[in-house]
Amino acid sequence: MTENKTISAKKTEASRKIVSAVLFVLVAVLLVSSGLGYIVRGMDGTQVILDTMRTDAVLSTATSGLVDSIAAARRLAYSQELRKSKEFRKMGTDAYIEACDKAEAEARDEATALYSDTSGVDRAALEAAIPGIQGIQGRYNAMKEGENEVYAALYTEVVDSIGDWTEFCDANADDDALWSALCAQVETLSDNAQLRPGMIKLVKAMAEKEIAADHAQQAAQLWSSASGAVEDWTAYAEAADEELWSLILEAVPSLAENENAADFKEELLASAKLAASGEAAAEAETETVTAQTQVDYSYIVYSDQLQALEKEVNGAFTSLWDVLISGIPALSELKDKDAAALRERILDVITASEGDFAQQYTKYASCGADKKLTGFTKVKMVVASNAENLLLLGVAALLMAALFAFWKPITGKMGVSRSIILLFFICLMLAAQFYKINMSMLIGNILERVSMYGVLVLAMMPGIQCGISLNMGMTIGCVSGLFALVTSLNFNINGWAGLIFSIVVGIIVAIPLGWGYAILLNRMKGSEMTISTYVGYSFVSLMCMVWMGIPYTNPRVVNLLIGRGLRVTHSLLGNYAYILDELGSFKIWGVTVPTGGILFFLICCGLMWLFSRSKLGISMSAAGSNPRFAEASGINVDHMRILGTVLSTVLAAVGIVVYSQAFGYAQLYTAPRQLGFIAASAILIGGASVKKAKISHVIIGVILFEGVLSMGQQVANEAVSGGGLSEVMRIMISNGIILYALTQSGGEQK
Amino acid sequence: MIDRKKITDFLKKYIVTILFLVLSLTFIILGDLDMTSVARDLMKRLSRNAFIVLSLIIPIVAGMGINFAITIGAMAAQIGLLLAINWNLTGPVGILVAAAITLPLGALFGYLVGVMLNKMKGQETIGSMILGYFANGAYQLLFLYIFGNFIPLNPKVTIIGATGVKNTLDLTTNGLAQAIDGILRIPFLNCVYIFAGAGLVYALVMYLLKKITKKKALVTAGCSVVLAAVFCLPVVANCFNGKNSEAITVPGITWVLILLLCGFNVLIMKTRLGQKFRAVGQSQTVANASGINVNRVRLIAIMISTVLAGWGQLLFIQSDGMGTLTTYSAHEQVGLYAGAAILVGGASIDRATNSQALLGTLLFHLMFLTVQKAASALFGDAVIGEYFRAFLSYAVIAVALVMYAWKGNAKRKKKQKDLRTA
Repeated sequence: MTENKTISAKKTEASRKIVSAVLFVLVAVLLVSSGLGYIVRGMDGTQVILDTMRTDAVLSTATSGLVDSIAAARRLAYSQELRKSKEFRKMGTDAYIEACDKAEAEARDEATALYSDTSGVDRAALEAAIPGIQGIQGRYNAMKEGENEVYAALYTEVVDSIGDWTEFCDANADDDALWSALCAQVETLSDNAQLRPGMIKLVKAMAEKEIAADHAQQAAQLWSSASGAVEDWTAYAEAADEELWSLILEAVPSLAENENAADFKEELLASAKLAASGEAAAEAETETVTAQTQVDYSYIVYSDQLQALEKEVNGAFTSLWDVLISGIPALSELKDKDAAALRERILDVITASEGDFAQQYTKYASCGADKKLTGFTKVKMVVASNAENLLLLGVAALLMAALFAFWKPITGKMGVSRSIILLFFICLMLAAQFYKINMSMLIGNILERVSMYGVLVLAMMPGIQCGISLNMGMTIGCVSGLFALVTSLNFNINGWAGLIFSIVVGIIVAIPLGWGYAILLNRMKGSEMTISTYVGYSFVSLMCMVWMGIPYTNPRVVNLLIGRGLRVTHSLLGNYAYILDELGSFKIWGVTVPTGGILFFLICCGLMWLFSRSKLGISMSAAGSNPRFAEASGINVDHMRILGTVLSTVLAAVGIVVYSQAFGYAQLYTAPRQLGFIAASAILIGGASVKKAKISHVIIGVILFEGVLSMGQQVANEAVSGGGLSEVMRIMISNGIILYALTQSGGEQK
Repeated sequence: MIDRKKITDFLKKYIVTILFLVLSLTFIILGDLDMTSVARDLMKRLSRNAFIVLSLIIPIVAGMGINFAITIGAMAAQIGLLLAINWNLTGPVGILVAAAITLPLGALFGYLVGVMLNKMKGQETIGSMILGYFANGAYQLLFLYIFGNFIPLNPKVTIIGATGVKNTLDLTTNGLAQAIDGILRIPFLNCVYIFAGAGLVYALVMYLLKKITKKKALVTAGCSVVLAAVFCLPVVANCFNGKNSEAITVPGITWVLILLLCGFNVLIMKTRLGQKFRAVGQSQTVANASGINVNRVRLIAIMISTVLAGWGQLLFIQSDGMGTLTTYSAHEQVGLYAGAAILVGGASIDRATNSQALLGTLLFHLMFLTVQKAASALFGDAVIGEYFRAFLSYAVIAVALVMYAWKGNAKRKKKQKDLRTA
């Protein structure tokens, strides 16, 4: 038996060596080619090739734009012709579309054959014209973006702060009054006088829209009460307007008294006629136009400098355009709209030279400029453009190879699951680099999540230390915290007072609950984890009924839809949302550090560390790790287990309050059910087992776990269209880690 | 003279069962429910769920607790069903093909679950539950990203304009809904008469073969006659035969399958394998000492259970009232509800029988039905009933686990005490 084992162990050892050797070769290849790529970039010839590519790209964009517009025009003409013909009635939609597609493809082939030859263009003149545009266009883009940004920020602020748009219609006549009203709403607006014309135009348009929508809604309401009064409108199909109007007035007596009735006459008559003609009265659009949060740049009026710059760009572009037209005369026949679109495309190609090597190459290649490259030159350019990616892949492969080569020492020190997660963490970081995800945002996101989940994960620790293994029933504490939180909302305790009230009351509620739960756990040593899971689940479900029946009446917390019971989600925005995180928050290298939240987590960790150093803490750990020995040395094991469980429950109560303020919302009902699993997997990733846990496990675990989740989410969003993959990843990592810990604790008993 | 100890023991064992009965009766009275409609819904739910609950028995006997990983069997079944729909199979053929696919898939998944559970002995309940959660992640990965991207699917089962399988798959148009239930529908009263007749025949044959005493035969025969007679009374019969409302029917083939599974559960315990299940369930150490490969026996138990649960899920889906398969959630609660149901019937973590499973399913779903209806009658919405039944499901399992742990601890203490005194 043992011989077999050693043989199989040797086999796996050998195969591991082979894998790592192969990986190391791969690493060498990747790194060398990446280095070559960087060298190629620096060579003089490369820049020349790139410039040629740029010219080619501009030319091919111009011709393809031309071909596109010719093909589109042909398609339109053909389809119109087809519609007039007799055959059209016979053919179905599919056949029609197919015929149009065919005509378009034919036209495209013809046009391509005709115009693909660009030898008529004066390349030297073109190359001379391009750099002139480059500089100006870059400046123009940057400036425009800056102005857009200012505008967008103020726009959203204005839209958010204005509740009643109709108010601004009165100021219609007088721009100055409107402007001062706007400035009164949004203070920062007065510093940005250059936005005045745009903002005024915008607000007027919005107000008009709002009023029109309001009017339509009122008309629809009137019609809905009028239409019911007449059973069969079709009987009045031939009726005159006046007759219909009298019918409507009869149906809605209040309308006759209303002095504004005439305003609605037109709409109501139209609806009545529609009903009379037998058609189903079109459901009047009752949807009110709520203020759009989408920024509408069409209203923006740019600054004079920008407009001057635009003229410059236009001038430079015209010279380029002239060169192109002299080579390809057909371009001058383009319609204005198509020409403008083509202009944007060409400018886009030209400004790509602002980017780095890889960006330039991909842009030009996507325009078809790489077709002219041949053999070695092409390979050279591809390698050069992918130098960064090759480097990233090389580093990733190096890590894999190192892990395989030093599998035993690494896993021996860190444990298998932690090494795998660490590797995953690093791979995700590289992937984030690959997808060019903003690093500072990524780190800020991780920090935010660490401060959010930190205390909840810490709550797992005393449970493990005192010997009840993973305290899946910490949801009991979470529910107490949520209860305190909702209570603070109900009694309108806001801001810091609300936060402190929630924490304190949460602790007070959690203590007796945790006590009772601990006594239950003491009576069934050995299978705590299973029982605590189900006790936690049933407590959450029990509380669901409590949330439904709790006699709170503040409309802030009551489910207004059914008129009783609490809502599922409670917004803390405008109250104590982010209050802890924003305390002393600062920005460094673009990373927003949630100082208060992180500090609070670290303080909690520090207190727990001090506690575990105290006599009581040491006896608690002793009771957990070796109950018999502890009993023999005079420690009351049951009391220690109660202490640990109560501590865990209390920390969970504090944790959920911190979590909710960082999240901005508190969620009741079934939402807290899985929190125990999240906390358990985090602490296990940190290196804890179901029998042993330290503060370092908590801190490492929360950073690794939340880091993997937050990076995974963003990388998955970039890599795969449609969200959901990150959620799948969370489920698999979280449960996989717990499963692994269970297999380690159970072991194969024979 | 009534033995008081026997009564307390009985009460202790069946406290949850009695509680559910009392609760259901309370809800019926509180909600003022129409008994015929309750009976009809109950019949539907019983025939829909019984198979899955029965699939839990073998692992319990083999000492592996409640196999919450039957959700994985349900996933295997849903993969089979998806493929059947994908291949445009219809009616009973479609279900049969899905069942055929479920067999190897379920066995494979069951094997993997068994390997994992062998590594976490003593923690099987929580282990199988978390395995179910983990598998749910893998299932979503498969259905959202692998199907459609790597395994080409018929466009009618994929999300329009994206990859992955639709949220709900229609079973009505291709005749998969009610494919098994609809084959043979027997009026409920006829079933009762058949049942009573079978009882009479059984009593007579067994008496003639001298397998049972005269007294027992008479009691069985008497019960059958009384049962038939009661259902002949117009007051009772009118509740079921459609005089007052829609008649209650029994899906014949489904019940044949359920009874076959009951028979299988009984018969397998009489084979060598069944004896091994029992031996391993009673004590792994003793079983190991007597030359039984404990891990292998446990693997087989889980594999059988997983495949059976998969078939049970097929029966469940085809009989579901909506005629659709909710691709991403149909399997989620299977383990929870089945586990709670078998415990309600009086089973414990280490002991379960067919009759407990059937009784448990009956009572559990009776409570389910009545609490929802009573809640909507009393509070105006069924949501609170929804929460109440979730609470009861979890609580029943928690209580069963607590009782089991207590019993185990008490036994251990007694053993220690005996050792000390000896």
